[in-house]
Amino acid sequence: MKFIKNHLMFIFPLMAILLGIEFYLVFERTTNSYEKGLKEGYSMLVVTKEPMELSNFQTLNSHISSAEKIEREGIVTEVVKGVSKSSSEKILAALPYFYNLGLDEYLHTSGLNEIQKDLEADKNIKKVETFGTTYHSNYRLFSFIKFILKVFIVFMAVVSLFLIIKQMEIWKYAHKERMQVMEIFGAPLMLRSGVLFRMAFIDAILATMLVSGIFFYIKLHWAAQSGIDILMQNQEALFKFSDIAILFGSAILIVIIAVYSVVFSSKGVQE
Amino acid sequence: MSNVIHASNLTLTYGKRGKEVIKDANFSIKKGEFVFITGPSGSGKSTLLKALYGKLKPAEGNLVVGGQDLSNIRQGKLQELRTHMGIIFQDYKLINEWTVKKNVVLPLMIAGYPTEIQETQAHRLLKHVKLAEHADRYPLELSGGEQQRVGVARALSKNPVVILADEPTGNLDDYSSNVIWDLMENACQQLDTTILVVTHKIPTIFSLPYRHFIIESKGVYEVH
Repeated sequence: MKFIKNHLMFIFPLMAILLGIEFYLVFERTTNSYEKGLKEGYSMLVVTKEPMELSNFQTLNSHISSAEKIEREGIVTEVVKGVSKSSSEKILAALPYFYNLGLDEYLHTSGLNEIQKDLEADKNIKKVETFGTTYHSNYRLFSFIKFILKVFIVFMAVVSLFLIIKQMEIWKYAHKERMQVMEIFGAPLMLRSGVLFRMAFIDAILATMLVSGIFFYIKLHWAAQSGIDILMQNQEALFKFSDIAILFGSAILIVIIAVYSVVFSSKGVQE
Repeated sequence: MSNVIHASNLTLTYGKRGKEVIKDANFSIKKGEFVFITGPSGSGKSTLLKALYGKLKPAEGNLVVGGQDLSNIRQGKLQELRTHMGIIFQDYKLINEWTVKKNVVLPLMIAGYPTEIQETQAHRLLKHVKLAEHADRYPLELSGGEQQRVGVARALSKNPVVILADEPTGNLDDYSSNVIWDLMENACQQLDTTILVVTHKIPTIFSLPYRHFIIESKGVYEVH
């Protein structure tokens, strides 16, 4: 019973840290695709007096990566219903040129304002509409959610770390005498801490398996039936095999730090 | 005969404030000798013993044990040196979650001896200290005298060059004490092991003229 309790007292906080890491990985993956969509979906509208090429726009600002011309005929067709052909030709001739400009990266308000300023400095450009407000309110909400989750993960990791330190104190008490006696008789570090390492490695494997199992279940069963769009669309991103390596690596790192801190704080012989 | 232990101008300090307990001590102990170190409480007997197994570094001077100068020894060398020592403590320092047999073969385990040799040696030593029937029991199931016999068996298990004993009978009754002294005397005479015993009083059981040092006023003096 004591043996199981000792293991669980280490496995649970370790699992909490690993869950935090996995949540972070999953969230990064799913939000990255969402973020990419946000960026790709964004374009600014530019109205020019004369036709312009992408290279013309790029000489004004290097962040412009694409320029899609909006066909004027399409706009005129809607306007000139019931108007004579000669009049519609006059309207078409008087109409300026419209472009959707795409950017090479996500830019904050100041960046968008700078592009707007650069474009408006060209006499050929009549109007620039960045749609900055809508874009930023979406992105800020998204960033806020992301930030809150990261804070939660960090908080969870800190609390778990304290639990691990507490457990290390118990280990230190339980193994101190044995390690000290072994040290007196010349046992090298690896031999006298061997039991601790074995125990901690087993716990690291168990914690990794449990966390991987939870996410496998979420990916294969729960996500598909959840009815939550972002989960259903990103089902593949919920768990990858490479995550097992990341989780196990992290668990081993925590274990090594935990065991070494016990071993080094147990050095020396009691009076 | 060669010196197993040699101290020259040895000064030992103790505690965070570096209180001087032994100053400018000079003495040598040869192979196969049985030596007592006595002195009043707080005179530095246990401090000297700690210095002899490398737990405490000399503040000044030199302390050579088994050919290794402990004033300037690397951790790896110290570990190796300790595998050639047997150490007996007043409070036994047995590993309570290990069986008696496992405790006895600890030095062999550290030295990487095969399991068969460990088994044979454990059986022989436990028979020698009359604890063969307790091999699979745990230290806390034994009496104090029996636990100390396990401690002696552990100290002897790798035929050490030197055995250091810190008040080995301090917690034992007369009968158990005599058994422990017998075992140690036999080890010295039959195995030619150097034995250094730190104690507050030399037991009356000893009739042979063993060497005797006394620690007094920070000095280590031989009593003739």
